[in-house]
Amino acid sequence: MTVDELRETLARCDRDGLKVSIEGGKTLAGMGPALPRADVSLITTGLNTILTHEYHDLTCSAQSGVRVAQLNAALGKHGQFIPIDVPLRKKATIGGSLAAGWPGPRRHFYGRARDFVIGSQVALADGTLANAGGMVVKNVSGYDMSKLYIGSFGTLAVFTHLNFKTLPVPKKRRTLIAPLPEATRPRAIAQIASLAVTPAAAFCVEGFGKNVDGADDIDGRVLLYFEGTEELLERATLDTRSALGKAGVPETTIVDTGAAESFGRTLDACIANKRGRSITYRLFGPPGTAEERAEQLRDACNRHELFTDVLLDVMNGDVFVRASERDARRFADKIEACHIELRELEPRCAIVASDAAVRAPFEPWGAVPPAIEKMRAMKARFDPHGTLNPGRFIGGI
Amino acid sequence: MLRQRLIDALGADAVKTEAEDLAVYAFDAYSQGVVPAAVVLPASTREVAAAVKIAKDCGEPIIPRGAGTGLCGGAIPARGGVVFSFARMNRVLEVDVRNRRARVQPGLINLDLSKHVATAGLFYAPDPSSQKVSTIGGNIGTNAGGPHCLSYGTTVNHILELEIVDENGDVMTTSLDDIGYDLTGVLVGSEGTLAIVTSAWVRLLRQPETVRVWLAAFDDVNAASAAVTGIIGAGIIPTALEMMDHVMLPAIEAAFHAGYPTDAAAVLLIESAGFEDEMNLHESEMRRIMNANGATTWRAAKSEAERDALWAGRKGALGATGRIAPNYYIQDVVVPRTKLPQALQAVAEACGSRGIIAGNVFHAGDGNLHPLLMYDRGDSKQVAAVIEAGNEILEAAVDLGGTISGEHGIGYEKRDTLTRIFSTDDLATMSRVREVFDPKRVLNPEKIFPAGVGCAEVK
Repeated sequence: MTVDELRETLARCDRDGLKVSIEGGKTLAGMGPALPRADVSLITTGLNTILTHEYHDLTCSAQSGVRVAQLNAALGKHGQFIPIDVPLRKKATIGGSLAAGWPGPRRHFYGRARDFVIGSQVALADGTLANAGGMVVKNVSGYDMSKLYIGSFGTLAVFTHLNFKTLPVPKKRRTLIAPLPEATRPRAIAQIASLAVTPAAAFCVEGFGKNVDGADDIDGRVLLYFEGTEELLERATLDTRSALGKAGVPETTIVDTGAAESFGRTLDACIANKRGRSITYRLFGPPGTAEERAEQLRDACNRHELFTDVLLDVMNGDVFVRASERDARRFADKIEACHIELRELEPRCAIVASDAAVRAPFEPWGAVPPAIEKMRAMKARFDPHGTLNPGRFIGGI
Repeated sequence: MLRQRLIDALGADAVKTEAEDLAVYAFDAYSQGVVPAAVVLPASTREVAAAVKIAKDCGEPIIPRGAGTGLCGGAIPARGGVVFSFARMNRVLEVDVRNRRARVQPGLINLDLSKHVATAGLFYAPDPSSQKVSTIGGNIGTNAGGPHCLSYGTTVNHILELEIVDENGDVMTTSLDDIGYDLTGVLVGSEGTLAIVTSAWVRLLRQPETVRVWLAAFDDVNAASAAVTGIIGAGIIPTALEMMDHVMLPAIEAAFHAGYPTDAAAVLLIESAGFEDEMNLHESEMRRIMNANGATTWRAAKSEAERDALWAGRKGALGATGRIAPNYYIQDVVVPRTKLPQALQAVAEACGSRGIIAGNVFHAGDGNLHPLLMYDRGDSKQVAAVIEAGNEILEAAVDLGGTISGEHGIGYEKRDTLTRIFSTDDLATMSRVREVFDPKRVLNPEKIFPAGVGCAEVK
């Protein structure tokens, strides 16, 4: 599909009252309502050209259907990358990833993926092409429209291409993995948060089997990802071992080979789905309250005798909790009451992974934000006929 | 009626309607607008909301104002109205050290926030040159940058949550942790045309272990530009990478005794922050790049005092222009970094052909130029020449693939030039956001949008 074909398709559907679902790599299809209304599926993966890489300027432009890994591989030829930390990066498209607004665990370190977008082009519901930003790294010329589209789940417009600023690839990456007995967890988290050399990402993980590196036994595990120079990583290793030792964490394993792949597996775990018998919830909040929130959600799942896997982003405070059972029937029997309790405890927890049939009875997004009426008005202004991904987003937008 | 209603809601001390008081608020650092009908100084969100309702009831435009340091007329009352000053909403409300964030009122002075959290080992990164006087609210309005946004990012990268009052006087919050549209990201940089910010949770950063500042001097401005490209191209992103040219160096040195060479064609001021080992690597690599590009001087600040002096010169540069001419006009354009030599050439030609002295002090690492065009406001021919030259520079930046503002904003000054970078469709799309937040254009009217861009074009 070309950009012209995309805009013409949208214009025709908008005119004829057809509802359009927008799809990239479908990697985050487990988010949102199970059965969104759509007459036409618009798949952006044909828009797969990397348009420019001005490597001396540290900028690039790529069509929205380019895969995240594909873009970073191309940028990597000139020693650059963009930290778009989404699951399944080989399959995820940049347009879909940005539209889903997945914030990513390295955002405290590099910034959010949204902060790397310096410009974009979108197709509006009526087929109009609209540009925002440009190809320079600093720009305050009018409203930053790209920010509005990022995280809007394709309900306002469809990305056709995105312009980014890029970063130099870190010289070296290292993963540190250690077992994390429950009793050591609070102190370990506090120690990690105050490390002088900040990890690019840090996770406390319970369960998730082989989805995440490290031994999945009765203890949880902690995974820290460091990025930087050889010297910095050596210092980070010494500091981390000392800090975790003080917290009572027994031993730390260093993994240098495949650290990037290890990080990718942890990203993927955030949406790892057990067919027909699991739901993964995500809850944002300040890092200082993450452990308490994780415990609350885990305990609720346990009360309903569901298996729980927990992934806690130490640096940003995101909590992922997967509730599951051994078979689909038992899961179906338990999940409704569990879901109700989770929402009572944490009204903002959102479903991020599950089979459509499993989440069909539930509202997937959680409590609406305070500015929901402005968001509804925005949807009405940008997509008056409700053509784009109708009902896909929070509050029925 | 307006006056009395405002006094009833906010108290007499918070409402100014005397001519001599109002006259001051007709200006910002760019130009003069219309004298407003009233100025209010609310002390709380509730008072802001009350005053918004009154102003709207009375059919008066609403103009939010920080410290008035804006350089594009963003805070001038273009049609009169009620100016909202946040001088009484200037407190740090809460510091959350564990989560490295603070909740602040819009009238808080930028630098005061970093001072406030310094003992906790934290700082607030956006640092516009006006940071000693400009406010967080104003910085949010313009998405202010500053020398250190090269690595730390501009204001929008540091805003976590906003409390706003909309044109109806309704109060709401927008947060990056909310699921839903990123209204926070759109509100930052909207120059007070969408809502009034009444508080913000901002991100704080940990103070780096080591900060180093280097100075490199060049006999040729193109060589300095090539060195900038060399640093960025080598994968080094310093925390700041600034350039000053031969016009500005003697003036700054005379004013601030910063330790700049006065005979160089250009000087680069480079700062890196992080860990000792990293700094050593950066230093040796940058020294190599400087030598390769013919730097005549390369030296590191040896003490904090020397570092501060080097920065004081850079941040005070605008004040030093008084040694060259009675007035200056500062342009704010951005080009791709590799186009700096062409952009500087365009500045020289635009000004040289009109007999205007032009100095350059700018954020080279971002490609964000700030040509300073010196003139005498009393000479109408010079004024006309400066306006022409400014427009020519702007055109040149766009032709080089750049944009018309990197950090000052569009405001009143550049609203008609927005069409140079955006099509009618682009602007009409932007206008839809305005329609949602402020359909009657009560908030800071005549700003950002070219005259005539409104709902008619959207249809």
